[in-house]
Amino acid sequence: MSPAVRAAALGGGYAPGDEALAGVDFALDPGRIAAVLGPNGGGKTTLFRALLGELPLRRGTVELAGRPAYVPQTDRTRLDFPVSALDVALMGAYGRTPWWRRVARADRVAARDALARVGLGDAARTRFGELSGGQRQRVLIARALLQDAPVLLLDEPLSGVDAVSAERIEAVFRELREEGRGLLVATHDVEQARAWDAVLCLNRRQIAFGSPAEVLTTGVLQETYGHELVVIGEHRAVAVEHHEH
Amino acid sequence: MLSWLTDPFASDLMRRALVEVLVLAVACGPLGVWVLLHRQSYAAESLAHGMLPGLVVAALAGAPLVLGATGGVLVAAAAIALAGRDARLGGDAGVAVAVTGLFGLGALLALSPDVPARLGELLFGDLLGLTGADIVEATVLAAVVVAALVLAHRRLTIGVFDRPTAPSLGVQPARWEAWLLVVLAVATVAGVRGLGSLLVVALILAPGAAALNLARRLPAALALAAGLAGLAGVLGLLVSYHWQVAAGASVALAAIALFAVTLSFGRRRPGLGVP
Amino acid sequence: MLAAVVSLPEPFDTPFMQRALLETLLLAMLGGVLGSWIVLRRLAFFTHGTGTAAFPGLVVAGPWGVPAQAAALGTGLLYAGSVERLGRRAGADAATGLLLVAALAVGVVLASDVYESGAGVDRLLFGSALAISDRDLWLTAGTVAAVLGLDAALRRAWLAGGFDPVAARSLGVPTAAADRLLLAAVAVAVVVALDAVGSLLVTAVLVIPAATVRLVADDLRTLRLGAVGLGAAEAVIGLWLADTLNVGPGPALAVLASAVFAVVALATAVRR
Repeated sequence: MSPAVRAAALGGGYAPGDEALAGVDFALDPGRIAAVLGPNGGGKTTLFRALLGELPLRRGTVELAGRPAYVPQTDRTRLDFPVSALDVALMGAYGRTPWWRRVARADRVAARDALARVGLGDAARTRFGELSGGQRQRVLIARALLQDAPVLLLDEPLSGVDAVSAERIEAVFRELREEGRGLLVATHDVEQARAWDAVLCLNRRQIAFGSPAEVLTTGVLQETYGHELVVIGEHRAVAVEHHEH
Repeated sequence: MLSWLTDPFASDLMRRALVEVLVLAVACGPLGVWVLLHRQSYAAESLAHGMLPGLVVAALAGAPLVLGATGGVLVAAAAIALAGRDARLGGDAGVAVAVTGLFGLGALLALSPDVPARLGELLFGDLLGLTGADIVEATVLAAVVVAALVLAHRRLTIGVFDRPTAPSLGVQPARWEAWLLVVLAVATVAGVRGLGSLLVVALILAPGAAALNLARRLPAALALAAGLAGLAGVLGLLVSYHWQVAAGASVALAAIALFAVTLSFGRRRPGLGVP
Repeated sequence: MLAAVVSLPEPFDTPFMQRALLETLLLAMLGGVLGSWIVLRRLAFFTHGTGTAAFPGLVVAGPWGVPAQAAALGTGLLYAGSVERLGRRAGADAATGLLLVAALAVGVVLASDVYESGAGVDRLLFGSALAISDRDLWLTAGTVAAVLGLDAALRRAWLAGGFDPVAARSLGVPTAAADRLLLAAVAVAVVVALDAVGSLLVTAVLVIPAATVRLVADDLRTLRLGAVGLGAAEAVIGLWLADTLNVGPGPALAVLASAVFAVVALATAVRR
């Protein structure tokens, strides 16, 4: 079975002499969810960029089962845009609609279905900017659903999100896993990573990749997060979150 | 050769123009450095451009231009502040609306009467038509600008180079930025007679940008900006005299040309840089 | 070519006023469709700058025997390219400020040679109804058609690219090419607007009506239709105002459009 995502000796940066990422080597099978752990600035976003083909200087190879769907954090989007939740979800179909055609009716139906799937069926007509943070994150996931991509890259989809949204999102993850898609989820939540299939630890280079049991040891976490790690008891550790402003 | 340099300044007219640009240079040069370091170029340009209706009203009513300039700048500042506030538009669009409206109003007031106001002079200056009183006016305003900058020097420095710790040092950066805009307004009023509302910003931004490209330390940049502005004034007047072109525009272009020259310097030995 | 075949009420009963009316209505179309994108994609200052930068080109166009639109397009490209290169050295803010004032100064210096009186320069800066030729009308109409076509084809790319630039590329939307075409379309729209409203006032027709409607519109369709409607109404009233006050269309449209904007802005601010 060919992997959903495979990176071999991947590394690179944004400018000559800039080493944002080095030595990334892993393979994610379809139907698996991998957490990507690491401090801010440690390369999680750079990895996603590289997988999307947007890293200016790149070494190594990337193999993907298909073009990945990218789910950014909602504060990266324009909240003042005059678009409804449905409009945003529908954007997932833009890539497969040629410029001379209108968006297909089937895609419109799919957009409504996707919103229902993330629990926002009633909010289709609400302006995107008027939704709560968690709801907006769910809309962006609905957009990714519409892309029907074999690989999904999600950038901290659960950070700062209300409990209802979080539950929904995790349920959708499980569904996507059942459908045989591969998910890479950047997160700060070490505990959550334990529940998934694989963990990738990055701090400007790959520290470890493997099952949670193998990777989530104090030693590896210390190497990944450095002084940002707070160890609580024998088997629990929490990574400190810093938000860049 | 020497006569090429001194001949132009034989007449009273040209001598007054020379004094005017040198006086403005001392004020506008250093001010420009601060404006650039605070990233307020857009505000500077908008304020200057938006003052047109005030100038036109003064010209039509036969009132002193400095009154019209002051009124114009105040109205422009209010309009720009209000328009730039709406989050839906993005500050850019709001300011563009305000400036366009003010331009239009100024042009409408100037061009509709039977005896139209001399719009060209208000926009591009009347550097060769200055009286002694004009020079005195400019000198007083320039002195105010220089005094204000000297008094605030330390606080402005902290606001730019040490912004995060400024409050702990007793400096509120936002307040000093607003205050900088007030000083900018005064400088604009000072320079509008000679260079016009459209071109006065050249003498503020260009020498400052040039100085920031060359100087490595702030005091040097401030002094250099004044010097370069003065040089631009002299060069501009020489060009204007010898080639029979508009004086205000020549000074503006000379300032910008000096900046263009420093662009190549900056590459080899970087100065503070223009943020 | 366009004689006074249609009988309209004063002041639109003369050929040149009818041409001016047609031109400003066509520009209102541009302001509605393209203007909505200018506002959403934050290109208002770019629009204003491209217009201002065209001034020196316009000054020499006549004497050099070059069509005004060609000269304006040339300076527009020069301006856009210079902003990008200079912006890397000196910060976008300062770079555009310096380039615009340079364009104005160059224009004035060139005008010293070309124009004896100030009236010529005024016309270039603020527009004139008399300056609108048949060729202008054809060019503007052609631009409207082209923009409508581009809008139909690229609307989704412009929307996705503005909403979420990073993800838009992963969506498979050609944002880079679409954005470049948007800038080019804005530049061309500015060029055809110059004769009527002048170098300094292009935003009066291309941006302000859309900005006004943006204050109250919650979805894209309302924004676009509203902007076209408002622009058309302002065109008619603005021209009437221009004729009454004996000024060019530019100043009249600018004052009218910004006054309407101010009223709407105050009304919506109070409501919020």
